[in-house]
Amino acid sequence: MKKLTRREIAVSISASAVLLAQPLPTNPDEELKAAKDLVQQNLQQLAKFPLPMSTEPASHFKA
Amino acid sequence: MASIPDDIFFASIAEINQKLKAKEFSVVELTKAFCDRLERLGPRYNALALSLREPALRAAKNVDGDIKRERYRSPLQGIPFGAKDLLAYEKHPTTWGARPYAGQVFDYNATVLNKLTKIGGILTGKLAMVELAGGPSYRYASASLTGPGLNPWDRTRWSGGSSSGSGIAVAAGLVTFALGSETSGSILTPSSFCGITGLRPTYGLVSRYGAMALSWTLDKIGPMCRSAEDCGLVLHEIAGSDAEDPASAGKSFYFAPAFARNLKDIKIGFATVDFDEWAEPAARPDFAKALETIRSLGVQVTEAKLPDYPYGPVIGTIISAEAAAIFEPLIQSGRVNELADQKQIAGLKAGLEIPAKDYLKAMRIRSLIQKAFRDLLADIDVLVAPSRLTPAPKITQALDRPASDRPAPKERGLTGLIPAGNLAGLPALSLPCGFADGMPMSIQLVGRPFSENMLLSVGKAFQERTEWHKRRPPI
Repeated sequence: MKKLTRREIAVSISASAVLLAQPLPTNPDEELKAAKDLVQQNLQQLAKFPLPMSTEPASHFKA
Repeated sequence: MASIPDDIFFASIAEINQKLKAKEFSVVELTKAFCDRLERLGPRYNALALSLREPALRAAKNVDGDIKRERYRSPLQGIPFGAKDLLAYEKHPTTWGARPYAGQVFDYNATVLNKLTKIGGILTGKLAMVELAGGPSYRYASASLTGPGLNPWDRTRWSGGSSSGSGIAVAAGLVTFALGSETSGSILTPSSFCGITGLRPTYGLVSRYGAMALSWTLDKIGPMCRSAEDCGLVLHEIAGSDAEDPASAGKSFYFAPAFARNLKDIKIGFATVDFDEWAEPAARPDFAKALETIRSLGVQVTEAKLPDYPYGPVIGTIISAEAAAIFEPLIQSGRVNELADQKQIAGLKAGLEIPAKDYLKAMRIRSLIQKAFRDLLADIDVLVAPSRLTPAPKITQALDRPASDRPAPKERGLTGLIPAGNLAGLPALSLPCGFADGMPMSIQLVGRPFSENMLLSVGKAFQERTEWHKRRPPI
């Protein structure tokens, strides 16, 4: 498993840190763009995370 | 006709049960008093979605008949409770806190409501909630059909969500206990902000049949009460296998704190940085005392750290993708625009664009997270961390903006335990532990799947040594 760097941890903890510095959206179009940007930011974070091919999706929970 | 003393509105389940058996008052008298209070004070805090006075009084009359014949079914028999308005209750509106569903009526009951009413619990009202249980995200406390949940400790502050009405109603003595739901924080947050005890059960332990789905792989239903003991009594009744819920774990729960492991055999993990650096400065003295109290229980204590995973992006992607799939008809119809919160509207629309491969990547990382927690909890029995790092924000505050401009500490500690614990399907118990700026603060205990009795035994021991859970807001 890849070890995250401190910088990556800080980014993942405060994932909205980048957004925090930005003004709040003022109309539905800006809001939708901000929501899509957030989705993309999340996906970019996931893309950086290397996964072994053998890793299957979570589908059940064991005690 | 017996009058109901004010203390009863803040009494425990066991205390009320004892008084009902002693016939100090009848279930009908108790129910009338609670309905009056819920109808009078509920709207003051935007906590009430729907009063169920008539069916509650009919049920109360039946339970009085049972008690008269000494037919005792459960400690919850005759106890007034409320349910988050995402639980179906037949022939009555179930709004999911959202304008597009304001007229929605089901012809069946949620399994948890059937379980509670069958043993004589008295459902007095449906309680307000954040619209669609928060959906992918929302910006303002006002994201609800009933307006912002107002905190009983200070009505200028938020109650927390998405189980807002449940948190308010228990804290203000409008019901003896309530049902809430959690996808990622919706039981723990209002429990912490309102100063009550909330239990998020292991994923699959409590049936979600009849509950609104927000995220099939994350949704849980749990009790919000005055104490750990009350949470155990309620969980005892609502847990169990249900063929109607595909995620049901097929397990029962028997509340037996006396048979949980000896406290001195329990190893508790915490991170100093959570309490000393991440937490709001005003909360640190009471958090420090809470940790001291935990140590005084005789448990073993060790430093712990959350495994390094991108919990926020993983849970954000999963909730967005699943919520967008669930609410696709709402989004495509355009009625999504009737929701109160612009961020929620935009978030639901944006979720439709998440590719399948990315959703699956999030779920694959989730597999590793679950394994990492199995490894972490092989050596540690219970993790302890602040439930929330700050007290309840002002109702006008944007929730996606920081509560303070303090720089983030360098170490993660256990910060992020709410999304992490939800991704791993772990149970959590939130316990009031003090105040900051006049508002309640809480710690959370998180354990292995199906370790609720252990969490409750630690919680019960903590509450035998503290009085925070008995504090009442100025109503």
